[in-house]
Amino acid sequence: MHTASWHSVGMTLDECIKCNICTAYCPVAAVTEKFPGPKYAGPQAQRFRESGQLKSPDLSVDYCSACRVCNEVCPSGVKIAEINARAKAQIVAERGIPLRNWFFGRNEILGMIGNLAPQIANLGFHNPFSRLMAEKILGVARHAPIPHWSTRGSFASWFNRTPRLKSENKVVYFHGCSTNYYEPEVGQAAVAVLEHLGYEAIVPPQNCCGLPMLNNGEFPAAEKLYRSNLAKLLPYADRGYPIVGTSVSCVLVLREEASEMLDIENDQTRRFKNALWDLSEWLRDLHEQGKLDTNFRELKMILPYHVSCQARAHRMGRPSLDVMTLIPGLDVREGNAKCCGLAGTYGYKSEKYEIAMKVGADAFRFVRAQGDDARMVTSDSEICRWQLQHGTQKLGRAPIEILAAAYGLYDLDQRRLNTVALQKSSL
Amino acid sequence: MTELVVIGAGLAGLIAATRAAQAGHQVKIVAKGFGATHWHAGSIDLLGYFPNETIAIQRPLDAMRDVARVQPQHPYALLSDAQITDALKNFLALTREIGLPYVGAIQDGDNLWLPSPVGAARPTFLAPHAQRAGDLTRAEPMLIVGLRGMRDFYPELIAENLGKQGHPARAAFLPLDLITDRRDITTVQLAYALDDPARRARLASELKKLAQAGERIGVIGPNSVPGIRLTNALCNHLRQLGARVDVNMDVIAFRAEGDRVLWIESEASGRPLKHRAEKFLLATGGILGGGINTDHTGKIRETIFDMPLVAPRDRGQWFRARFFDPAGHPIFRAGIPVNREFQPVDANGARVFANVWAAGSTLAHCDPILERALEGIAITTGSAAACFAGQK
Ligand code: SF4
Ligand code: SF4
Repeated sequence: MHTASWHSVGMTLDECIKCNICTAYCPVAAVTEKFPGPKYAGPQAQRFRESGQLKSPDLSVDYCSACRVCNEVCPSGVKIAEINARAKAQIVAERGIPLRNWFFGRNEILGMIGNLAPQIANLGFHNPFSRLMAEKILGVARHAPIPHWSTRGSFASWFNRTPRLKSENKVVYFHGCSTNYYEPEVGQAAVAVLEHLGYEAIVPPQNCCGLPMLNNGEFPAAEKLYRSNLAKLLPYADRGYPIVGTSVSCVLVLREEASEMLDIENDQTRRFKNALWDLSEWLRDLHEQGKLDTNFRELKMILPYHVSCQARAHRMGRPSLDVMTLIPGLDVREGNAKCCGLAGTYGYKSEKYEIAMKVGADAFRFVRAQGDDARMVTSDSEICRWQLQHGTQKLGRAPIEILAAAYGLYDLDQRRLNTVALQKSSL
Repeated sequence: MTELVVIGAGLAGLIAATRAAQAGHQVKIVAKGFGATHWHAGSIDLLGYFPNETIAIQRPLDAMRDVARVQPQHPYALLSDAQITDALKNFLALTREIGLPYVGAIQDGDNLWLPSPVGAARPTFLAPHAQRAGDLTRAEPMLIVGLRGMRDFYPELIAENLGKQGHPARAAFLPLDLITDRRDITTVQLAYALDDPARRARLASELKKLAQAGERIGVIGPNSVPGIRLTNALCNHLRQLGARVDVNMDVIAFRAEGDRVLWIESEASGRPLKHRAEKFLLATGGILGGGINTDHTGKIRETIFDMPLVAPRDRGQWFRARFFDPAGHPIFRAGIPVNREFQPVDANGARVFANVWAAGSTLAHCDPILERALEGIAITTGSAAACFAGQK
């Protein structure tokens, strides 16, 4: 199949002490009997995959949602989720990719097309009949929280349309597909906060991080995307500009997952990695240096915070929580559910929708338990926010939207920038 | 600012963090993964055996005083009676508070005797309430029920062994598909499956048919589920106390100035993450838990701060010739020597850092598994070390 060696990830399987802690924590194995669990699908089955058979021995690995909870709890450092991802890639290489997964991998293109005429696209796709057809024909779960195309235009077009703050201090913003096509508000909030703090936001040409393809086993295609981003963004990294992202999963892919799973680690990828930040992580760092403006206005609200599995996978602590706790009046409550269930494109698949909803039950319960006064819910991943919104009917908001609101730049209900921010940016 | 960073999320680390958080300190746990709670029985072994003795200990609290006499460097010898009582009382109160009450033997201060997964009588001091029916000092005959096809649990073997030791027991089987469609299932998956009331009711009604009057029923022994429950409940409780629990944090560096550690650093997807704190408490486990490691040359290292260790000098001395030697293997006694305040010391007995404490299996001069003292050492030293750290 793919050119990369299987070494660095594969090596870790020899570290497995068969303790089954991963199995005890895998949220998928806990709710479905179709998945035997990480130890079995990962380090155990991997022994049979390496001996060069023509057919992969175990197809159940397809039920792994790639949430990485197993990696997190493994006491021996086995890269189970990566082993599983490679196993999926091997299956795709052997048998080809189902049409639906091919589409999921190309969510950027879907975003672009829908964005041409979002009202029509939304109407065309988001109606019960189309969703039923999509389920019957493609296997796209009818009730899954697939986002609507933004009717306010793409983030990139907004960014280029509106006047921008110029400054010595520059920060590159990686928006990701979902911010660009589905939730431009998140990007607007990010830019408003950066400019409020006196930084010039730069949004260079960029493309999909490749996560949906990596999750669906399309490694060669994912590699193309990764290399393309590398080429587009590395010059900024080399100029010493931090590259920040609001989507934890995109940043994770760019910073670690892609290069690790595809085995392309070199000096360039390291330079790129060192420039990349999750936006909250970057703000927390600013705060640690004493440079963050903490002049927040009071935000009197209870806010459940779901720690997304991708945020955990960064091993960077809880930067959003660290920053949000600086806001007076804000009662942020950290949940401990392992995963919202949706996990990339997993919960969009009709055969996995039920599993995803069952996995998400803990997260839904936590969010609901915060009472009716908690109208909103936050999480670092858009996917989690959509799923939580779907499962609890509370409004999903990104941590950066919360921060922008606390700076008085943003209206959380309307999901748009306040006029102050607009005036400011046109200065 | 974090006052105390506890490194390690095994029982010692969880208890230390809880005690510090209860005392109102800002606490954070930084751990690579979870600890032995996930593969032990979830009961609290305080002291079961002296090295070189095959007769189990009946009254562990008394025996701990003997340990102090014969092994003056043993972690238990560093603790006063008051510290031990305080730690155990606090643990019992804590388990009630988190909804997982633990109980001891009917005769206060005795060890409990519970059947092991091969039917041996296992001395332990406290057990989850639900395990109490297994107490071998009780006379009722036992029915050991297995699920056919489930690995690692052999009712016939258990019943036979129990019978040989004078505990009447018989074995029976139920089909696995009574509970699950899986062909292969772990105890944890079984526990999840039995969270479903319908499956539980099915199991209960089949068990009723099997049991005879006066029998008590033992089902699906192998460990880990109670330990996992305890860990989860303690982590949740810590969060409620305002503490942070971060796992998947592999500590790769630290910075000290003079005799104080300023921060530790853990590996991350991007830049390493610094954890600054006023105080640090090591609860990383021993050679089995990863707090102490060896390399191919036989060099033994403490993995976080490279603390001075008490350990066999060369590889030839790690093991005794016989696997089940009642004296145990010297390598398992390797660990960090500490003073009476549970601060690591060097070979001259001088404190290494002013703001570092250590607790649990990472401590030298004990063999927690051989002595059947794993959780007892974790709880008592974790609690004492946290109290000392809190006073500074
Ligand atoms: S990545 Fe998630 S779903 Fe996949 S095996 Fe690991 S814990 Fe289970
Ligand atoms: S947690 Fe790690 S060491 Fe344990 S069985 Fe899973 S992969 Fe193996």
